[in-house]
Amino acid sequence: MLNIYRAIIFMSCLFLLTACGVNQQTKDSQLTLMKTTNPTPFVTDHHKSNKLVKQIEKDVSSFPPIYDVAVVKGKKDTLVVYKVKHLHRFKMKKIEKDVTAKLEKKYPKENFTVSSDYKIFLETVRLNEKMQSKDISEKDAEKRFKEIVKLTKDMK
Amino acid sequence: MASKQKNVTPEQQKYQQLQQKHEKQRPVLKNCIRAFFVGGLICVIGQAISYFYIYFFNFTEQNVGNPTVATMVFLSMILTGFGVYDRLGQFAGAGSAVPVTGFGNAVISAAIEHRTEGFVLGVGGNMFKLAGSVLLFGVFAAFVVALIRTLLSMWGVL
Repeated sequence: MLNIYRAIIFMSCLFLLTACGVNQQTKDSQLTLMKTTNPTPFVTDHHKSNKLVKQIEKDVSSFPPIYDVAVVKGKKDTLVVYKVKHLHRFKMKKIEKDVTAKLEKKYPKENFTVSSDYKIFLETVRLNEKMQSKDISEKDAEKRFKEIVKLTKDMK
Repeated sequence: MASKQKNVTPEQQKYQQLQQKHEKQRPVLKNCIRAFFVGGLICVIGQAISYFYIYFFNFTEQNVGNPTVATMVFLSMILTGFGVYDRLGQFAGAGSAVPVTGFGNAVISAAIEHRTEGFVLGVGGNMFKLAGSVLLFGVFAAFVVALIRTLLSMWGVL
């Protein structure tokens, strides 16, 4: 009998807590580690066209083991972040090597930073959201972008 | 084994047969299922904690393992202190002992068991009675693997 009361109290608390979140809009960055978000590729400098980053995204997405790609171009560097399908995660280093080789061959003038880390992906999506909602200035976006690139280099 | 069986007297043999007849069969499949689900649940909690550190702190996928392991060990130590983890251990067996939380349980349960013998010789001396061998094996295995890797990279294989 006590167990039934406990179960009822637990279920009531669960329903009360989850009911409030139904009609709230969730940002992509909140669920980016759990679902495919495919963020729009962007350039931190508003005056530059984003044709190149879109092409880079297409090239990276053409790799079969890769399924979610984010591309950001700053003043100097271009950051390419992607997620790898679960069964291909054993070959992460090889995939990173192949992606870097392909990009460097096709776009020799660009300076690429390639990563498959979830944290980098999350921060890229967050920056993208801020850029789209114009919550961040161009200067701050470039600064944040440099911080993300630095975080990628710290891991190596 | 064969020589041992030859030495058994008829009475002993009779007793062995009786014992085998009344011996309770181990529910291996049930234990495996319990261990699988409880071990899996512990891993899900660990994954949620690592996502928490990635979302709210500056940890990357590569270094998030350190705070996650520390948190899981700390949680299991607290639960052992409250006597919850022991019950979970009785229910799930290897499912609760094999994950890193089992390490925290091994340290704290040994400390609790010997606390009457004093803080230095009791708690301090026996705390790592079980977990010490795990630590030593881990450190030594890491040393051997690192040595092999260094030699291979020196020879240009890797």
